[in-house]
Amino acid sequence: MPPWLDADLASELARGVLVTISLVLLTSVASCVLGLLAATGRRSPGVAVRRLSATFVEIFRNVPALILLIFFAFAVPNVLPADLRRSLLFDNAVMDAISTVTTLPLPYYALAAATALTANTAAHLAEVVGSGMDAVAPTRAEAARTLGASARQANWSVTVLDGVRIAFPGIINRLVHNLKNTALVGLVAVPDAFQEIRGAIDETFEATQLLLFAAVLYLALATVLEFGLRRLEVALWRGRPIDRVVDV
Amino acid sequence: MSDQLSFIWDQLPNLLWGFPNQRPGGLLLSILLSAGAIGVGLVLALTLGFGTHSHRRLVRAVSSRFIWLVRGIPLIVLLVLLFQFLGTGGLFGIRFSAFWTAAVTLVMYSAAYQADIISGGIAAVPQQLRDDARVLGAGPLTVARTITIPHCLRSMRFALITQAITIFKDSSVVVVLGVADLTTNARIALGGDVTRAPFWVATYLAVGLLYWIVAFSLGRLAQRSARSQTHAPPARREKVGAHA
Repeated sequence: MPPWLDADLASELARGVLVTISLVLLTSVASCVLGLLAATGRRSPGVAVRRLSATFVEIFRNVPALILLIFFAFAVPNVLPADLRRSLLFDNAVMDAISTVTTLPLPYYALAAATALTANTAAHLAEVVGSGMDAVAPTRAEAARTLGASARQANWSVTVLDGVRIAFPGIINRLVHNLKNTALVGLVAVPDAFQEIRGAIDETFEATQLLLFAAVLYLALATVLEFGLRRLEVALWRGRPIDRVVDV
Repeated sequence: MSDQLSFIWDQLPNLLWGFPNQRPGGLLLSILLSAGAIGVGLVLALTLGFGTHSHRRLVRAVSSRFIWLVRGIPLIVLLVLLFQFLGTGGLFGIRFSAFWTAAVTLVMYSAAYQADIISGGIAAVPQQLRDDARVLGAGPLTVARTITIPHCLRSMRFALITQAITIFKDSSVVVVLGVADLTTNARIALGGDVTRAPFWVATYLAVGLLYWIVAFSLGRLAQRSARSQTHAPPARREKVGAHA
């Protein structure tokens, strides 16, 4: 233990790491759901749904995550008049409840950051999953229909699920990128791991050691996330040879 | 509404090419920084990409560890860390300015991602092609220059353009070092002034739109190149062996 690391500082850092991990889990799950919806939406027969999904994807994929973060966290509240902003986004029972559970002083910023990261990652995932779905041989969905599956069943369990299987390496890449993007939330007043580390640098001036710690921390988190997702990928492919999914 | 528009109109030159009587900034600097990172990064990435396929174990280990390391650390951490070493610390006897630290970091960051793509591209070049060239008397450098690199860049061009777009968007993170790019200039334009609070939405919509225009058009370019890739006329390589 380095001498400058006292119990207070250690617990602050630990809280930051916890915020980062929670944010990663929350945004990963939410963006997978939203990304899947957008990918299927872009391939739906309804014109309105298709347009809406395409617009969502094209907007949130082509704007930097940092700009989305600042927009949702700092710009959006300025639309509201001061008193309404206060009562709606900061001082109310819901925010107080979230604050008690998560111990975040201003949960609005964390919610806004999670929304921004989710939208960004979901838009990227929609493209990745979509190209996976396009790679599934159409004959397979037709075969499922012939065997008595409904259109919905064939679409879900053949096109969507096999598309996800094919696209999984890309999904892993994107989710790891999302993990690294969470290091930006400190710029919008969310006390995540990197923000706490920067705070600790201001207190102790041990910049080199703390920054190296940050690098090792994110490397470790990324490695763990990637390892877990690779295990999931193997599990998804179990008993399903690839030549039954794509025409090779 | 009209004061919003006039604010944006007044600030637009600052967002596009920087504040008057200062070095280039804004969107222009974002483009210059990322173009430099992509260009210089590509040279480094080719070296690293070949490194991952080297016969020497040490070269292989160093290249793949470098790629793994840089890809595993968030850009914002990398920027602050390198500024600590190069800027504040003056590691090599010269103190890098924030701008040059950002440039060096973006080159490294870009190179690591490009190298990963190129490494895959090199693996996809049919071994037969390279062997044939060697049999015909070409040296290893000639094979790399005339066969491996062109083949790899051609097959990976979609992935490389997509990566270039990501670098352009990620360059917004240099705001942590205060480099006067588009994101930083938006911040400066708004300042700490409370009276400017109403302009936040309009300003960041404008900034988002500027990033969007560049990223979206490059994305269209990538799509077009991908399409020409699938509908490409049979190339010379068709004679020697099937495209892997």
